[in-house]
Amino acid sequence: MAFALTVNGVRYVVDVEPETPLLWALRDTLDLTGTKYGCGIGQCGACTVHVNGRPVRSCSLPVKAAVGATITTIEGLSPDGTHPVQLAWKELDVPQCGYCQSGMIMAAVALLQRTPAPTDDDIDTGVTNACRCGTYYRVRQAIHRAAALMSASPSRSAEDKR
Amino acid sequence: MTPKMDRREFFITTAAVGGALVIGFGWPRRAEAVDVTTPAAPWYREPSVPEINAWIVVAPDDTVTIRIGQTELGQGVWTACAMMIAEELQCDWSKVRGEYASANRDAREQAPAWTLKNPAGPKPAPTDPRGGGGSGDLPATNERVSWTGVYRRMSTHRSGSVKMNLYFYQLAGAEARERLLLAAAERLGVPASELTAKDSIITHAATGRTVRYGQVAARAAELQHPHPETIRIKSAHEFTLMGTERRNLDVPSKVTGQAVYAIDVKVPGTLHACARACPVWGGDVKRYDFNAIKSMPGVHAVVQFPRPDAGLIRNRQFSGGVAVVADSWWHAKTALDGLPVEWEYPPYTHLDTGNMQRALIDAMKEPGHVIYQRGNVEDAMARAARVVDATYDVPYLARARMEPGNATALVTDDRVDIWIGDQSPQETRFSASQIAGVPQENVYVHTTHLGGGFGRNGNGPQAEHAVMVAKALKGRPVKLQWTREEDWSVGTTYRAMGAAHIRAGLDADGYPIAMDLRAAADSNAAAPERGLTPPAYFVPNLRVSNHFGKFHVPCSTRRATGSPSNVFFVESFIEELAHAAGKDPYEYRRELISRSTIVFEEDWLKALDLVAEMSGWGKPLPEGWARGIAIDDRRNNREEADVCTICAAVCTVSVSKAGAVRLERVDVAFDEGFGFVNPLSVRKQIEGQVAWGWNDAMHQAFTVKDGRMEQNNFHDFPVSRMSEYPREVHIRFFRTNHWLEGVGEEAMSQIPPAIVNAVFRITGKRVRSLPLRKHDLRWA
Ligand code: FES
Ligand code: FES
Repeated sequence: MAFALTVNGVRYVVDVEPETPLLWALRDTLDLTGTKYGCGIGQCGACTVHVNGRPVRSCSLPVKAAVGATITTIEGLSPDGTHPVQLAWKELDVPQCGYCQSGMIMAAVALLQRTPAPTDDDIDTGVTNACRCGTYYRVRQAIHRAAALMSASPSRSAEDKR
Repeated sequence: MTPKMDRREFFITTAAVGGALVIGFGWPRRAEAVDVTTPAAPWYREPSVPEINAWIVVAPDDTVTIRIGQTELGQGVWTACAMMIAEELQCDWSKVRGEYASANRDAREQAPAWTLKNPAGPKPAPTDPRGGGGSGDLPATNERVSWTGVYRRMSTHRSGSVKMNLYFYQLAGAEARERLLLAAAERLGVPASELTAKDSIITHAATGRTVRYGQVAARAAELQHPHPETIRIKSAHEFTLMGTERRNLDVPSKVTGQAVYAIDVKVPGTLHACARACPVWGGDVKRYDFNAIKSMPGVHAVVQFPRPDAGLIRNRQFSGGVAVVADSWWHAKTALDGLPVEWEYPPYTHLDTGNMQRALIDAMKEPGHVIYQRGNVEDAMARAARVVDATYDVPYLARARMEPGNATALVTDDRVDIWIGDQSPQETRFSASQIAGVPQENVYVHTTHLGGGFGRNGNGPQAEHAVMVAKALKGRPVKLQWTREEDWSVGTTYRAMGAAHIRAGLDADGYPIAMDLRAAADSNAAAPERGLTPPAYFVPNLRVSNHFGKFHVPCSTRRATGSPSNVFFVESFIEELAHAAGKDPYEYRRELISRSTIVFEEDWLKALDLVAEMSGWGKPLPEGWARGIAIDDRRNNREEADVCTICAAVCTVSVSKAGAVRLERVDVAFDEGFGFVNPLSVRKQIEGQVAWGWNDAMHQAFTVKDGRMEQNNFHDFPVSRMSEYPREVHIRFFRTNHWLEGVGEEAMSQIPPAIVNAVFRITGKRVRSLPLRKHDLRWA
């Protein structure tokens, strides 16, 4: 079946079964491989994308439920790695293996959109992605740093960049 | 878009192809391999300008491409290996980009003679600060791999990326630098000895003339060095790039989603495969019914594959299985879920965690394999004022890397291409060659970054599965990808389950005069003696033995191998002795280490004292809080001067009255030897190990029932999140006078006993069986 998806500001038509998880439509049909498969059961967050601005685990969202929505993936955050969250991530050298980091960054961006100056407790409840390498120490610092960068130039946000 | 597969190819019902049974559609063989070029791909490519040597290409714009034989899996080798080369090359660090070395070229080309000798001698003393590290010459071969090919050692294991490669990476940089100087000398018409190189610029001091690397690189590529064996490399104290904090070169690509992992590789015309092997290791397929799924969307074939030859996978036994091949992975996975498969079970289905644990306990009643003996333990035990006796156990644990096992393979009659994130590309080259029946010279391993590793090929036979399936579908690229469930419960190898029974006789002051330390593990365990031989604590009459239970579970080198189990046993037990003696656990350890004959004893004390000071040891804490301490080093033998890494940790823990445990703060004192290559990467590794230690202590266990693993995904094998990571982590490095054994796994084993020791001080409950979450830790 054909479904119209709007991803990173571009409208695509994908021909998949309605129950196909959005994750696989993104990765295998649209070649947007920045979004990762970690568990397939909504647990790990490696597949986190934004659907209408909210963080969603794309492995657990069927394509048919994403029709008409505005979807943003890591590739849509900035064309060149200059989103404040990406800048903060580079400054603090956050990633280790990096496999979880697309999802982690998307979760952090969503948190900062809801809560521009998050406390440590906000971060704990707002970012629930798994990182096996254990980068949490730097993730926390980088979220605070990104919050500072964003308050310095408040016009920058994922949705604006598109 | 997914390529449309047409089905004009002939339909085959069954065909036995090299041990694999294919049912489905077949394709004609193609003799040629495809060439895939993805701009962000990290694998080896033929350079557009001539290379200077096998490791270094300098472009006219001064960009330096450094070929790296180790695989980046989060530990920072992509950066550290480049730093070892750039240190000598004297290039502008901001112009460096990485690329993986070629395992194929390594099969076809011999190593340059000047790389084969460690300039510090074949076996330099670990306290010798000259270049070359502590490892000496590499052995020429291991079981399946020759380390005399052009890229020498293309393994990412044994914490060896620095200690085993340093000298030939430095030499590679130095040789290229010398040839750039020769080319510049020719161009400027001055002797090379009057030139200096720094930041990719060569300067003739007398005349002030300069030339850039990019201007002379083409000429340097043509020149030979007349006496490469005379090229000198720097000693540790001369390093200027190494030892500085450098952000990792792969990080920018990892914040944009552009980094290429094997799971992201897309070869034109690829079919997707999802595999399932018999969940009881050593089993096989009895029958399956392709008809049940053949009309499902996108399905092309089912390939039955045999048990991989254990000789290819470090003698670990995996199972035979089936792979559904389809036009997309989701189609393959969905069809595999619907495929009826009956298994031929091996005779292990009666095994479960309970009876395996009893077998380990029984094994400890036998004399075992004695790995250390001093004095007369039983005589001294009989004289003891008091005997302390405890039994501990730890479960199987998976590495649980985030990227599920996968590989893309294309097999033709005379060539294999495989795209894979792999800690041992040379071994994978060998495996692929054996399975596909083509010479190693015709196997092309295209290395990608790995989404976590934590222990070499122990991550299982994904390469073998991919090559077997691709061989059955010759001429067609196949991307084989395990589900998370398959990866964690069938495809991987485990840290062995283990147990210990330790008895000590104490004198009237509470110090041990006798100890009988028995540690048992699955006989497949990797380095079951690590962390035991001998304890750093002085006991005049001591016996240490390993005991084994023979099981079928594939175990291998999970991060830190034997030490997380053994350090949990030893550091818990020492704490129990301190408690029995009524002494402070830090002071008690200090006293026993001071009495010992351990080599680098003063460094142990340095670590212990530093971590005590950092953590505020002895200072008051709120009710329900306590500190726990633990220490370990890693070396082959603690009675000989040996390359080693010493680390001590204090965990500050709180336990609520309801029994909820929190890790509030961690202090780590870590050995920096003569210095690190990239201290920033070391910090990150230690920060990560804090999470690993916490997970080992608190959450994680794989349990066996009916001969198979009971856990298979994040819901039943928890990985801690932000909220559980301590808000405070303090890391300090201390200088010592020896080369380091490693930095990626030496701070992890201390965390679980330190936590458990703190939990005891709060609750009065001594946990001897991990993980903590099994236990009721309420206290009043
Ligand atoms: S892959 Fe979607 S939450 Fe893990
Ligand atoms: S960086 Fe490796 S899993 Fe997060």
